[in-house]
Amino acid sequence: MRELPGALAGPRVVTLGGTEDPLAIDRNEMLRYLGHTGQNIEDDLACRIERVARDVEAHGRARGVFATFPVDASTLDDEGKACIRLTGTVATLRGRDIYRHLKDARWCTVLACTLGMDNERRLRALGAQSPLDAAIYDAASSALIESAVGHLDSMVQDAASAAGLSCNWRFSCGYGDCPLEAQGRLLASLDATRRIGLTVTPTNLMVPSKSVSAMIGVFEGPPRAADAPARCAICRMRASCSMRKRGTTC
Amino acid sequence: MDTLLHKAISGDCHLLFDGGMGTMLQAAGLAAGELPELLCLTNPEHIEAIHRAYVEAGSDVITTNTFGANRLKLDGRATVDEVYAAAVSCARAAGAHLVAADIGPLGALLRPLGTLSFDEAYDAFAEQARAASDAGADLFIIETMTDVLEVKAAILACRENTGLPIFVTMTFEADGRTFLGTSPEVAAVTLDALGVDALGINCSQGPHELRALAQRMLAVTEKPLIVQANAGLPHVEHDCTVFDIGPEEYAAAVRGMVDDGVGILGGCCGTDPRHIALIADVLRGRTPRKREVPQAFTVTSAQALISLPTESRAIAVIGERINPTGKKRLKEALRTRDFDYLVSEGIAQQEQGADILDVNVGLPDIDEVDALQVAGERLSGAVTLPLQFDSTVPAALEAAVRRYPGKPIINSVNGKQEVLDEILPIAARYGANVIGLTLDEAGIPTTAEQRFEIAARIVGEAERHGIPRSRLLIDCLAMTVSTDQRQALETLRAISMVKERLGVKCTLGVSNVSFGLPQRPLLNGAFLAAALGAGLDTPILNPGSDRYMDAVRTFRVLNGEDAGARDYIERYAGWRDPYAKSDDKAIRLPDATASTRVDGNAPSAPSPNSERSIGHFVLTGRKRETAELTRELLNTLSPLDLIDAHLIPALDEVGTRFDRGELFLPQLMASAEAARAGFDVIREQMPASKELDKGTICVATVEGDIHDIGKNIVKMLLDNYGYTVIDLGRDVKPQAVLDAVREHDIKLVGLSALMTTTVPNMAKTIDLLHREAPGTLVMVGGAVLTPEYAEQIGADFYAKDAAESARIAAKVFG
Repeated sequence: MRELPGALAGPRVVTLGGTEDPLAIDRNEMLRYLGHTGQNIEDDLACRIERVARDVEAHGRARGVFATFPVDASTLDDEGKACIRLTGTVATLRGRDIYRHLKDARWCTVLACTLGMDNERRLRALGAQSPLDAAIYDAASSALIESAVGHLDSMVQDAASAAGLSCNWRFSCGYGDCPLEAQGRLLASLDATRRIGLTVTPTNLMVPSKSVSAMIGVFEGPPRAADAPARCAICRMRASCSMRKRGTTC
Repeated sequence: MDTLLHKAISGDCHLLFDGGMGTMLQAAGLAAGELPELLCLTNPEHIEAIHRAYVEAGSDVITTNTFGANRLKLDGRATVDEVYAAAVSCARAAGAHLVAADIGPLGALLRPLGTLSFDEAYDAFAEQARAASDAGADLFIIETMTDVLEVKAAILACRENTGLPIFVTMTFEADGRTFLGTSPEVAAVTLDALGVDALGINCSQGPHELRALAQRMLAVTEKPLIVQANAGLPHVEHDCTVFDIGPEEYAAAVRGMVDDGVGILGGCCGTDPRHIALIADVLRGRTPRKREVPQAFTVTSAQALISLPTESRAIAVIGERINPTGKKRLKEALRTRDFDYLVSEGIAQQEQGADILDVNVGLPDIDEVDALQVAGERLSGAVTLPLQFDSTVPAALEAAVRRYPGKPIINSVNGKQEVLDEILPIAARYGANVIGLTLDEAGIPTTAEQRFEIAARIVGEAERHGIPRSRLLIDCLAMTVSTDQRQALETLRAISMVKERLGVKCTLGVSNVSFGLPQRPLLNGAFLAAALGAGLDTPILNPGSDRYMDAVRTFRVLNGEDAGARDYIERYAGWRDPYAKSDDKAIRLPDATASTRVDGNAPSAPSPNSERSIGHFVLTGRKRETAELTRELLNTLSPLDLIDAHLIPALDEVGTRFDRGELFLPQLMASAEAARAGFDVIREQMPASKELDKGTICVATVEGDIHDIGKNIVKMLLDNYGYTVIDLGRDVKPQAVLDAVREHDIKLVGLSALMTTTVPNMAKTIDLLHREAPGTLVMVGGAVLTPEYAEQIGADFYAKDAAESARIAAKVFG
């Protein structure tokens, strides 16, 4: 049985963004978060949105951490249902969707990424001053964390392919039927509070709020469950989603 | 107390802690994310063996395996008492000379950014402190902290529940700050003020990096310094995690720290008994280097340090705007708990150049104990400036100072014995600074000598309570020159006397001097300059006044604080002097900060096809134009007609277009801003009109949920429709919503929840309201809600978006 390559093993802490290598915001994605579906935007407002986006880019820093653990899909959980365990951690992942995502994987890379407390404080400050600027800042920050986690994902993919391994897409707690309750233990397996300052509330929300955690399956052969399903397909909200009604997605 | 411990705390001998515990357990197979503390109960021999290896390597102090042994992390798997009892036993059995009870972070973030309250954190730490003390620990090591507020809760819990010495370390990232933005200087000054026995740095980085951070702490505190570095960075070799700094390199770095003056040493992640044995060799035969740190008046927030060295003439501006006296809008905000308004006042002053913010929320009809505390919490979540708590109610001061993440200023005491006896113990207990006003039972004396006498008495009383002169500011009180023209010079003379003879810094609010005279700011500005010349250190003023800030910035050139006049040149090089004679109208350049402020409604040319109507201006989000036209129309229309026939229909139209997807969210909000500008004009012209009050609505994000963007949008829109909106904020307990409903006689409540995990708390809140306040209607909204879900949890209305919430309100209030 082959050994896990060191570059993938981790835990590896990464800092992204900064004046030398700033993170970029996908403007379309940011506008989509704001509910934009092609409306004509007045010049004043367009400038205002752009100014906030640039501010977020200029000050945006992300801290990320990832580590890779062997996948054990052979055991049952306390309810007698098939589940995924990550060997060497306390994480147990329940639900059909995450099972499908990881059951054929040899390892799972767990990653977490956060824009940190500076972003959170700024969001709070704007919330008190101007709800509009706060809403734009919120959307721009969401787009920025997506960009950061994309970088992290690429690092994982590159490290895997350098070692002749393959990966599938990044799956997060809360997708499909994977409960948010797994969040705390998943982040504990990365020691994410200590390493990147990411905490989880008793209601399983991450603070700072602009944070992402995800799981990527790592395979010795070609990846299984390789294609990310359209997000809506496994979303609990698809029946009532206001974005879908407007012909867009989150 | 143990002799060695006593000597170490006095700085007379070195003390050697142990090294890593968690990394040794992980190397032996502990699962990632597992609680190592439980091993004290399930495998005590293993823990004891690790401790013994450190004792044999030369550790004076053994740290118990209790880093995460708090009720939140143990989560019922064992009691806190059991774990500490077992952990201390392991350490004792290993032959430890001294046993340090380890207390790590709770793992949950405190408010205002997180959801855990200070008091909940305190209770959890107090349970640990008592358990450790009962188990027979010799001291506390509170370690790996990143949040000043959390560490303060831990320190107070240890001090108020036990008599053991307290050592504290915080952990800093590569950028030299903790995750919450605290620098080594802020940490050292704040922890020193809180009266810990030793303080320092651990974890995160290797000894080379931490040495540089330790030097920064050594420069600002005389307390014994602790450093416990990691053995560099971890990497994986053949499925094993190894650290890249070996014992020899580590010990060499430690030698440098000892040379710098670090007294207490040990290791953190990745260090093992080999590292400790070599450090023991380094320390053998040495005693800590004696250090003398220059005295300074220091104030801190979690993110900022204001330091005025005793020997320097550097000054700091205390912003005075958060004070309801004479401010109608702030009074109203405090009564409706609109703390956002207060926070925005704080942010504005920060941008205008204040260094410290005075916070006064005293109104006869509000609960000041609660309000001052909430104001402190909300401000510390949004501004980085240190705070000065200003109140005449000792309980309010204590509540706020206790829960403040930093070393604040208390405003104030005076020469009255009763006041000194009440307030000084609070300043002493929490390491706060305190302002002393030179008045007493007999009132404000008229001569400088008499004021000096009172100042001297205050200094004496403070010292009796253990508060050094470096934590005092004396206010020699500005008197009105129109009443007694000799008074201004007496105040200035008193300042000079206090500074020279008592060696205490001075503060002063200048504006009183001009009362009753025309052009008051002119006189105030001159008095301010004179007072700075006489030695005033911390003027209390409105930083929004360019006149005052000009005096401050120019003085900073004259006193040498603005080195090379760099700031002065940057700000004033292109400045037009308002006194200069010119054909042009003298126009001040806008503040550098103001010009970079995000404000989308900077004047712009009206578009060619613009139609001059309120409807058009609101629809296109034009604040300035809406305000101007409103002002104009008020000449011919009654305010009510203007609202009903222009503003509301415009907002309705915006709502309809938003519904049809012709406008998107930022456009809806920009329209709301424009309408708000119109309403503000109307309110200015007909203040406090009953007719304008359409009803009061209470909004909140439910307990456990921290998302408030959606709720804030609803608040904004409802506000612009003319409702009074009481915003309870985020993470609001059901009982708090009920209390607000009762207090303000609320008919409609808006609740927001963004996550599936927090909807149950929404259901609980609705249930409580319907039971205890029948007749109150509840509308709900948020990403995870659907009409069906809303009905299922008992909501009266489902608002799919902000525009809908305004329609619901119209229905409810008719």
